Amino acid sequence: MNILVCYKIVPDEQDIVVKPDQTLSFDRAELKIGQYDLNAVEAGVQLVEAAGGAVTALTVGGAEVDNSKMKKSILSRGPGSNLAVKDDSLAGADSATTAKALAAAVKKAGEWDLILCGEGSSDLYSQQVGVQLGELLGVPTLNGVSAITPGDGCVTVERTLEDEVETLEVRLPAVLSVTADINVTRVPSMKEILGAGKKPSTILGSGDVELPAGRAVETTSLLAPAQAQRKCVLVEGDSDDKIAEFCRAIRTELQ
Amino acid sequence: MAEDRFDAIIVGGGLAGIAAAYRLAQEGLEVLVVERGNTCGSKNMTGGRLYTHTLEKLIPDLLQRAPLERRIVKERFSLLTPSSGTTIEVDSAKLGGLYANSYSVLRAPFDRWLADEAEAAGVMFVCGVLVDDLIIRDGRVCGIIAGEEEMEADVVILAEGVNAQLAQKAGLREELQPDQVEVGAKEVLSLDQAVLEDRFHLAPGEGIAWIIRGEDAFGPGANGFLYTNKDTISLGVVTEIGKIPSAQHSMVELVDLLKEHPVVAPLIAGSKTVEYSAHLLPCGQGAILPRLCGDGVLLAGDAAGLAINLGYVVRGMDLAVESGLLCAETVLKCHETGDFSRDALSSYETAIQNSFIPRDMERCGSYAAQLGNKALYDDPAKLIDVLTAVMQG
Ligand SMILES: Cc1cc2nc3c(=O)[nH]c(=O)nc-3n(C[C@H](O)[C@H](O)[C@H](O)COP(=O)(O)OP(=O)(O)OC[C@H]3O[C@@H](n4cnc5c(N)ncnc54)[C@H](O)[C@@H]3O)c2cc1C
Repeated sequence: MNILVCYKIVPDEQDIVVKPDQTLSFDRAELKIGQYDLNAVEAGVQLVEAAGGAVTALTVGGAEVDNSKMKKSILSRGPGSNLAVKDDSLAGADSATTAKALAAAVKKAGEWDLILCGEGSSDLYSQQVGVQLGELLGVPTLNGVSAITPGDGCVTVERTLEDEVETLEVRLPAVLSVTADINVTRVPSMKEILGAGKKPSTILGSGDVELPAGRAVETTSLLAPAQAQRKCVLVEGDSDDKIAEFCRAIRTELQ
Repeated sequence: MAEDRFDAIIVGGGLAGIAAAYRLAQEGLEVLVVERGNTCGSKNMTGGRLYTHTLEKLIPDLLQRAPLERRIVKERFSLLTPSSGTTIEVDSAKLGGLYANSYSVLRAPFDRWLADEAEAAGVMFVCGVLVDDLIIRDGRVCGIIAGEEEMEADVVILAEGVNAQLAQKAGLREELQPDQVEVGAKEVLSLDQAVLEDRFHLAPGEGIAWIIRGEDAFGPGANGFLYTNKDTISLGVVTEIGKIPSAQHSMVELVDLLKEHPVVAPLIAGSKTVEYSAHLLPCGQGAILPRLCGDGVLLAGDAAGLAINLGYVVRGMDLAVESGLLCAETVLKCHETGDFSRDALSSYETAIQNSFIPRDMERCGSYAAQLGNKALYDDPAKLIDVLTAVMQG
């Protein structure tokens, strides 16, 4: 089974600073691979470990996709090769643009049976790219996949719903978005990290693939929620009196 | 080189480790640095002042290329009471020689830059991996163990910082006792660059080192420091572990108390905390360990006890770099003969003894002691001499 796993390089959320005017500063932010995408990578690697085949990591974006640390990071997690499409127009792209660019990139990725995505990107989390990509490629598409078992020309997948587990057989080729609890992602070992530097990585540009023109969505503002002023009323102790005082304070506030 | 065999493995991608690896790679050795943080610099902390003399030996155009924050041109020293304080200012030009060039730095960008330089010189980095143990055969260190994996090398350099667990496993250190370490906590506060320069009377690119002797003014036994960066301020406290009842929580409070102190509050007015960190550091003027090497193993930087801590002035970064470089010189010599026994490696101990490190460690302790000498305050010239010596740590 040849598997493509899609991943997005995002700013590390712990380094994002909220400025006094509620705008966000990414100045100090390190790059990382979206954490939900790591579940897709792990799922792909586990499938080829069980059924044979190869995993190729696939990403589209701006300059960040050519970052050597990111290449090493993705390849240390098991994929045999990396394919990226780099173009300034793809930096900070919306879901539709990203899905179209991925669909274009898939055409350069050779034979494939299955494409895996995470449940959403770590930064925008629109949960759209997987389903749109499947639609663009015209293949069976599912999201919310919490288990995958390889079969003959198909995979059996589970989707954990509100109060039941749906089991479906999906013909290949297909596009699946996996949940964050489908697996526990592996921590790359020293040898995997050292080996990652030797794996092939290809960077394509607008000359190699047909990139979408224009964007469907335009971001008009990106603001952190306003900080609520805390009242800083502390009630200490667990006596009945104190609990009554605590409840009184809450009631007064709610009135 | 076999897949899992290196000429040298360095544990710890701090300044000591990167400097050692960089120097070895320059001479064509196959070296691996294993760092537990996800990037070099992510787990590292410092007050903020780097004397660049040792790194300039490794990178001659360091001052032009490195992400240094501000060149330190002014030294201030404050003595606090709970409600007020007095401040003395000395011109940094007083510090000459090795100490002529010093800059404020932030470890996250600085260490990462240095690691990238080293990587470009051929060093291999594995980040996000904790080394758990050493491979020791017949008393000789032969490599490292991380999880299920082993990796071998002719020599292992332990540059793992102050809490040197592996150095203990190699039999070179005792377990750290609470009275041998202090704890430091620091906030990085962002402030508009123009406001910062105006407030501290600094020209662009110029910075200030401000040492705050608190004693009990803002927390039991706590002292503080302030360094100006490009558009941030590093403000921190150092105190003895024994003096804080519950380590994490009250370190945060100590920094808050310092921030509220009437001498400090106006300096940071309008700033916003963008980073908080806490770290252990060795106590007092530190003591170089009796043994800095064993069969197949060397210690560098904080792991070797090479740091000066006068409570308010802490200095270890240039010492870490120097020891890393001296480790590398010894390894290069041993690489020629193929002999990495303790005897062969002990030329490193001699090199450390002959370096500026023990000299400075001793001198600082004696100057710090003089600060308590009342007669000193009747003699301004002498006072300035002692203060500049103390500032330089
Ligand atoms: C509050 C404070 C203020 C200071 N102020 C100054 C100052 O202004 N100027 C100055 O010169 N010095 C200062 N110092 C001292 C200086 O920061 C240290 O001396 C210096 O960082 C030591 O460098 P190092 O490379 O030896 O250790 P570190 O920088 O601590 O690096 C050790 C590295 O090893 C890694 N590591 C540890 N164990 C393992 C393991 N088992 N496996 C993998 N990786 C491991 C750690 O993650 C870390 O990155 C200050 C220190 C503190 C705490």
